[in-house]
Amino acid sequence: MSGGWAAKELTEKGLRTLVLDRGRMVRHGEYPTATTDPWDLPYGNRITEETRKRKPVQTRTGYPTPANQHWFVDDLDNPYTETNRFDWIRGYHVGGRSLMWARQSYRLSPMDLEANAKEGVGVPWPVTYDELAPWYDYVETFAGISGNLDGIATLPDGKFLPPMDLNCVELDFQKKIADKLGRKLIIGRTANLTAKLTHDQSPQRATCQYRNMCIRGCPYGAYFSSVSATLPSAERTGNMTLLPNKIVYELIYDNDKGKATGVRVLDAETGVQTDYFAKVIFLCASTLASTFIMLNSVSTRFPNGFGNDSGELGHNLVDHLKAPGVNATVEGFTDVAYTGRRANGYYVPRYRNVGKDKRSYLRGFGYQGRASRSGVGRFNDSDLIGAELKEAFKEPGPWTLNLSSFGEILPNHLNHATIDRTRKDKYGLPVLNIDAVLRENELAMQKDMVNDAVEMLEAAGYKDIRVNSGDKYFPGLSIHEAGAARMGKDPKTSVLNKWNQVHACKNVFVTDGSFMASSACQNPSLTYMAFTARAADHAVSELKKGNL
Amino acid sequence: MNLENDSPGMMQRREILRRAAWLLGGAISAPAALAVLQGCSARTEPGVVVATKFLTTAELGVVAEIAEIMIPKTDTSGAKDAGVPTFIDTALDGLYPQPERDRFRAGLADFETAAKASGKPFLEREPAERADFVKSTLVAALAGERSPKPFILMTRELSLLGYFTSKVGINENMEYVAVPAAFHACVPLSQMGKHVYWE
Repeated sequence: MSGGWAAKELTEKGLRTLVLDRGRMVRHGEYPTATTDPWDLPYGNRITEETRKRKPVQTRTGYPTPANQHWFVDDLDNPYTETNRFDWIRGYHVGGRSLMWARQSYRLSPMDLEANAKEGVGVPWPVTYDELAPWYDYVETFAGISGNLDGIATLPDGKFLPPMDLNCVELDFQKKIADKLGRKLIIGRTANLTAKLTHDQSPQRATCQYRNMCIRGCPYGAYFSSVSATLPSAERTGNMTLLPNKIVYELIYDNDKGKATGVRVLDAETGVQTDYFAKVIFLCASTLASTFIMLNSVSTRFPNGFGNDSGELGHNLVDHLKAPGVNATVEGFTDVAYTGRRANGYYVPRYRNVGKDKRSYLRGFGYQGRASRSGVGRFNDSDLIGAELKEAFKEPGPWTLNLSSFGEILPNHLNHATIDRTRKDKYGLPVLNIDAVLRENELAMQKDMVNDAVEMLEAAGYKDIRVNSGDKYFPGLSIHEAGAARMGKDPKTSVLNKWNQVHACKNVFVTDGSFMASSACQNPSLTYMAFTARAADHAVSELKKGNL
Repeated sequence: MNLENDSPGMMQRREILRRAAWLLGGAISAPAALAVLQGCSARTEPGVVVATKFLTTAELGVVAEIAEIMIPKTDTSGAKDAGVPTFIDTALDGLYPQPERDRFRAGLADFETAAKASGKPFLEREPAERADFVKSTLVAALAGERSPKPFILMTRELSLLGYFTSKVGINENMEYVAVPAAFHACVPLSQMGKHVYWE
């Protein structure tokens, strides 16, 4: 996600840029299952035992079905250790998780960026919303974000393409929770093109065809990914050299120059070790992978890991908190359905600890969900068989509606990653150890996340409300891990400055989720994009001034 | 075999053969292909050689009958037409750990024992009697302990999964549009072709 943005911005500003990716090459259009009909997917597109054996962590998400499993890493070949269970979900290929992401794109708000300072949690954000807003505008315009102008102060509007529509039942739910509880429900803001882009820089991208198979890769380029959008732009400049299968495992630090001079790389296919050199280095490997590279870069200047004067590198690891999903059956609306497959749902923005609301915990959460007509699964509990079952199937099942929550996890020094040198991966590299648990604030919030969902479904008068108590959340499962090299004003308590530069080594920028001083509860990718574009602009400007 | 002008029956077999081919990892040998074809046309009859992955030919024969009772041929194709028996065998092989597979096999044996104990072996019964026995077994299972999932519920779930992910199961029972091009959020069913839209 962030790597593609760094490549685009740096190359467009005239820098000859080497892009190193540890995974295999993927070019736009190279999505093997993108147009595969459902009957051509083996095993009814269920996760196979073989996938479970090779990818025991990745399958915790439920995503690596035959249609998608090639985008998820082989856990046996790419081990890490868990002092406490942490679901590290990875895609080692060019484009990374920007190919599989859920495309929900929300801005952080002034409230989110001010919370640490106000509450004395973690370190204050060194960036204000006003500084960030033009960069949100910039990345939204290029990426193409569909959304409605909702006028919610705590979820700022952006430069949107037209919103997708809520269906009849979602509109009913929207009205009822607004009337009865004063809560808002909006159509998801998603990086799918609902209209032509407002620029002509991405001729390879067409509008959304409502197939809802985004995770397989979109041959229309209708959703934003590094592969569909930023890397083609970078390539067109003629300034990019992209090398796949290059595992960056260490930054090279030159004591005399006081700078990083390059990176050490292992070729994933041959094992050959090479050093690559550059004036400016952007680490965009994803939070935990960048953390690994920095922790693994030990020198006399940085004995505890690259840029780790503060001792905070690897610490303050967060994700987005989930609670069991809640769903209900909606009576009525039996004579309507929908056609097309909307690659999006609705969003209930955070309302807890907003305005006069005051809870026993800090921060809050939002919900995502959708209303749909139930399918064949509804027969699992029935005794219908035979012609009766087939007849019953001819009409769509009752409407159901679900709420799935994403809450903020507070940064905590104790939640951290370190290098486990007792184990080696197949390349001979040590592995990452992750140790993060939910703490008091999260556990209190989780209760509200379930109770509020039930409350909303009850207020709407829906029936058969079910809490999916089987949804057990462990950190990492939201795939929003962030914060392990946080930014801040003070080099004594943070790793990066407000420009995503390593405090102690200004020619190294880290622009994946690592920099997040707090995570708010919104899906984070849009924020990574904005910070990356901003950091690249700063890097080029500093380079021109001779400051790097 | 002229692949361009064959009968609907052959098309169906070809589909199953093609399906079997990718399940086996692409290439399929001629004898194995023949076995699959024969299996598809006559897999209900014990003794016919079928290229199974987990179930024995005899077991598959019983499972095929149960699947067809779950989803019979009506104005749309039935489980056998849709290749569900092969699907179930393949799914057992690829989707379940060994203990689950073994439990399925034991459950199948219990099913047959119960059929014998209550009168006649399952496959020797008249069609209506078979359906009654499947139904009563299902009703009993729904009333009893559901975890781990009893054989009959596993079989129904796999039958529905195999059928509604098969080409005929999807195209004959649902509106499948590969490239919808638009999303219409609230459409009266009266304006839809088939009322169930594949999603």
